[in-house]
Order: sequence, then structure tokens, then C-alpha cells
Amino acid sequence: MVIYLKSGGELRTKLQPDVDYYTRRVETEAGLSLKDILAGIGINPAFVAFALKDGELKRLDYVPSEGDVITLQPPVSGG
Amino acid sequence: MANGLAGETLRIDLTTGRIRRLPTDEALYRRWHGGRGITAKIIYDEVPRQADPLGPQNLFIVNAGIMSGCYIPAGSKVEFGSVSPLTNGPGDSNMGGHLGPALKFAGYDMIIFEGVSPKPVYLFVDNDTVELRDAGPYWGMKSLDCEKKLKEDWGEDFEIATIGPAAENGILFSCITHDFGRQAGRTGQGAVMGSKKLKAIAVRGNKSLQVNDLDSLKKQVTDIILRTKKHPNMVPWQKYGTAFFIQWSNSNAVIPAYNFQTTYYEDIDKIDGDKLVEKCLITHKACFGCWMNCGKYTRAVIPGKPEVHLEGPEYETGSLCGSNLGMKDINHVAYINWLLDNLGMDSMSGGGVIAFAMECFERGLITEKDLEGCTLKWGSVDDVEHFLEMVAYRRGIGDWFAGGTKRAAAKIGQGSEKFAMQVKGQEMSGYDGRWAPGMLLSYMTADIGAHHNRSWTITVDMAEGRESVEGRAKIVVYLQHIRPLFDTWCICRLFWGELDITPEEIVESLNHITGWGVTVGDALRTSEMIWNLNRCHFIERNRANGRTFDYPPARAWEDKIPTGPGKGKGLSLAQIDQMLDEYYAARGWDKNGNPTRELLDDLGIGYAAENLERLGFLGKPIPGGIPAVRGEKYKPKAF
Repeated sequence: MVIYLKSGGELRTKLQPDVDYYTRRVETEAGLSLKDILAGIGINPAFVAFALKDGELKRLDYVPSEGDVITLQPPVSGG
Repeated sequence: MANGLAGETLRIDLTTGRIRRLPTDEALYRRWHGGRGITAKIIYDEVPRQADPLGPQNLFIVNAGIMSGCYIPAGSKVEFGSVSPLTNGPGDSNMGGHLGPALKFAGYDMIIFEGVSPKPVYLFVDNDTVELRDAGPYWGMKSLDCEKKLKEDWGEDFEIATIGPAAENGILFSCITHDFGRQAGRTGQGAVMGSKKLKAIAVRGNKSLQVNDLDSLKKQVTDIILRTKKHPNMVPWQKYGTAFFIQWSNSNAVIPAYNFQTTYYEDIDKIDGDKLVEKCLITHKACFGCWMNCGKYTRAVIPGKPEVHLEGPEYETGSLCGSNLGMKDINHVAYINWLLDNLGMDSMSGGGVIAFAMECFERGLITEKDLEGCTLKWGSVDDVEHFLEMVAYRRGIGDWFAGGTKRAAAKIGQGSEKFAMQVKGQEMSGYDGRWAPGMLLSYMTADIGAHHNRSWTITVDMAEGRESVEGRAKIVVYLQHIRPLFDTWCICRLFWGELDITPEEIVESLNHITGWGVTVGDALRTSEMIWNLNRCHFIERNRANGRTFDYPPARAWEDKIPTGPGKGKGLSLAQIDQMLDEYYAARGWDKNGNPTRELLDDLGIGYAAENLERLGFLGKPIPGGIPAVRGEKYKPKAF
């Protein structure tokens, strides 16, 4: 199964984008949670505050489907 | 002036009513970069060290910054500065919205208020018209109501900043409110404004600003606009603001719950960003020149109470007035946010004060008899409403809490000092530092008392090891130099700092506006100079070694986290002392936390060394000299 993960900032650096400046193509097993997928590509899930798919908030227990494009939001402090 | 400045500074003596219009001192801006830098310098130079922060000798400064209003995105901030009545040290706070640019478009870079008006007044600015007007009809009004009335009276195109009854009554953590939901909350700037009987500032302006190189600025800004519009993290900001962070903070055991008793809240799903959007959101709201629109305009609907509208709650209020108070309904959190906004109290310190009082009630240190027959239970919005009215109007023991948790604990005693969650008199932000040592160090060493905006290290703590204190000091020092630059330049850190705009690009914008030709290194050095001036000022006012004031309350080392993912975690006093020792060494201060002559001379503020020496608090020379580099940019190794 192929999904696409995208992010900015330091998370983008860790993601190692290969599709465009922000996006990485990830081949993964179906049925894994986003948390497991992140761990599998060497990203500590603690550095993702939440994810967004089609404009909807997803937690790290979300199980992606084929072709999902998922934005990863890093945690930041408020103002 | 072709440097981003409007050209005039107003000096207003509220005692006599005299208004002086002076040319803006460009050299002062060049040296101190505006915003928080200039307010720090002016209050250091002009406010006598023994002056009462609520007395006539304190200054109240409104600074619109060098970059705000100057053809850049999110150039929206305005900075307020004075000696803080909450900490008895240099204080500043800023807010977004539209006031800063409006002031510059009216022709003014800064307003310096001194003295105390014999009767309530507000400042009316309409381009060249600058008048102190009678605020009698507005005095006593709540903040949001007052802003609405002033706009009805003068026009929607006026930008208004007001105080509420809390500031009028001298509540030391009072805030200044603007744009129906933006606040300058920290360090009690509202209280200083209220002490001067200054109810509001109303500004309208339609003049132009000139910048040094408009063509280059346009080109750069166009590129930034196109990039940030496509940035993947823009949409989450637009949709959720900072409230999205609440779940993460809970999952990672840094959210304060029940007055920082623990760091995991079982009912987080009831008060998180999802719930805010689902149950309360009316529309998104933005500041001047910004499309991040991280502001959330919401409604709070509670049966039996009138529906109220507010901006928020964002992360800080959402945590400090949510999990920290045991609230179980996002409408209740929003309502408390609205109460604090309308009464005119900092929602961060406000949440901390309520939580402290709730724990005192839980422990029997204050009783129903003290609370006019009411309770103050965790999770009760009615109890909070009643308590806040007691505080804002200083009724009964509400008066005890008017000075914040530190002063309340001094009155209540019985060991309550241990859980007054403050440093230097200012209440902590919405992160618990027991399993995030860099964050705790950030609170301990912030120049204005506990505040996260100077330095936020939670992801660093996660990467470096949450139980280790090694290496935090240098990172905190670096963050304390780079993050406050946004407040110095009066631009928004969320836009300029979270969307892959580099420090070099920000300085490039600064140079296109001003023509200064500075580097990032120059800017960091200016920030370090401001930091050290504030440190000296604090020591001089409080007449003790700096280290005396750099400790957190004893809960930080005596109480391990009792529940959740962080159960059993916590730091020892020895580790806290180790962090302080390393911090002072990283800063070039001595073991007492006092700056040395060598450091102050190196920064070009040797006059501060003279003052410290006269009082007996000049830092002792450090064997081997001060570090050549103070603070190190963090390079994440484990992620």
C-alpha cells in the first residue's frame, strides 16, 4: 500500500521528502496505524501533534487507506 | 522616514494632561530594535528603582515596533511595557490584532505615559488629533462591552484597547483587551494602565509608512506569501489554531491538571480542539495582514446563562482554564475564558489563580464561609464565576488573590506556597515541567517570571531524554535570545516562526524595511543585550542575588507526577540546582545568577555594572572569563 506524508519544519527534514518539497511517498503494510507507520520510517510519533487528511483531523491511531495524502502537524507552543 | 518608522513619539503626562509630540529617536531603535527592546531600555533609564509599579513614577509604554504595518504578512503586534506590579521587575506583554499598525498609520511609533490622571481618561488618536478625553461614562465597564461602546461612539474603524474592572481595581494580573479577544495578558500591564486611570486607547490612522527598499521588500514578501499559502501546515493552523495542541500535550504528560497536581487529564476529549470546533466555533479570525487566521471566534452556550461570544480558548487558556480546573465541558472553558476577558484578567494567570484557590478549598485552607457561602470545586463553572467576581472586585478574600498566587499563598500560609505555581510572582504557562526539564528551566529563568514564550523546549526535552537535565541550559539561552526577537520587532511568531521562514529571511525583511544591514548574529546580540539589561533591572529593584528568584515552587521537586504516562517522574532539587549552575555558566553570570562586568561591558551596557556594583550585586569575575558564545542553536539528533 502507498500513502503520502507531508509536513514542514524539522519534521519535514526527518520525513526526507521525495515527491516534492514537503511530501514523501511511503510504501507500507495495510492495516497499520499512522503511529506504527511513523515509527517504521524512523519518526518518533511523539513529534507529531496530529494529522490532517482531506481537511479532517486524524489522531495517530488512524489507519490510512491506499493513496491517502496525510499532513503531519508538529507540536508548537502557543503565543 | 524611509525606515518603517512613522516618525513621532507621544509623551503624555497624565497628571497634568500635557501631550508632547517628539521626533522618534531613530538611534534608539537602531540600538534596541523597538518593541520590547525599547520598553526595556526606557524603563531602565527612567523609572526609579524604588518606584511603586502602580504609582505615578512608573511609565506605561505602548510601542508599535519597527516592522509592524510595513507591507509584510503578520506585522500586527503592539508591545506594552512598564515595571510589572506582579513581579516587581521589568515587564512587557504584546498582542496581535490591529492596534500596532493603526498607531503607525496615525503617525506614531510609541506612546509613553507617565504620572496618574486625576480622573479616568482615554486617549483619542485620529491621525493628527491626539486628546485625552473624559472616560467617566466608560469607567467601570467590562472590557469587551467598553470596546463595543467606544466603537459605537466613534466608529468601527477605530482600533480600541481597553481595560476592565479588574485593572481599575488594581488586580495585579490584569490585562489589556483589543479586537474583542486579543489580550496583552502577562505581567499585569493592565494594572499599570488602570493605576494611571487610563481606561482605553482609541486609534484611527490612514497615513503611509515608508520603507528603505520597497521593491526588494515586495519581491521577498511575494515569495513568502506564495510559499506559505502552499505550506502543508497552514491549513491545520487555519482550522484549529493552537487548541489542536491540547490532546498532544495530554498524551505526552505535560498538560497541567488540577493545579499542576498531575499531567494527565482523563476528560481531555471533552475540552480539546475537536470539541472547540464542533461545539463552539462561529468563525475564524485573523490579525492585521495575516491569513493564518489562527484566532477562533466562538460562542459559549450553557443552560441558564446568556450565550456569550469570545475569541478562544486557544491552547494556554484551554489548558489552564480547562484541565487545570477540572472542567468537563468545552462550553464551560470558553465561558471562563469570556469571564476573564470581560473582567480584564490574564487568562493564564487567571487560570493559575483559580486553580490554586481550588486546591486551597480542596485542602480546607479556605472554606465556604470565606467564599460568601459558595464552594470552589474542581469542574464547577458557577463556582469559578462567583470566585472571579470576588477577585475582580476585591470582595472578601478575593482581595487575597488580587496579587496572584504568590501573594495569596503568603497570606494563606499553611504550606500553600508549595503549590502556588509561579516564578517571580507570575503564574506558569500551560505546560508542566516535571517531565520536561528544559521547560522547567525556561520558567525558572524567564526575565518576566514563568512564561513559555521566551523559551519552549518540550520537543527538545523529548529528543534529549526527559529525565536528563544535561545540555538544557545552552539551548534555553539560545531560545531566550531568538524567540523574544519577534516581540522586539512586533511581528507574529506563529506566522514568521512556524512556516519555514528562516531567521535569515526575517532579518532580510527587517533590512529591506530599515536599511540597517544587520545579520542574524547582530540581532541575537541585541536580544542578549536586552535580556541582560532586564536581569540587571530585576536585581536592582529587588535587591538580592538573581538566583534568589530563579526557583520554582516546591511542587516541582517534591511531588512526583502521580498519574498518567508521566507517573513517578519528576526532578530533584539537586537537578534543579545543576540546571541553574549550567545556565548561569552558559550566560556568563556568576553562581549567584548575577551578570559580570566583563559580560555587560562586552554587550555595551557597562553602566548597568556600575549600578549593580553600587548595590553590591555585581557578578564576581568568572575564572577563565565569560563564554565566547552564549547559547547554542539546537540541532536535533534524536527525533
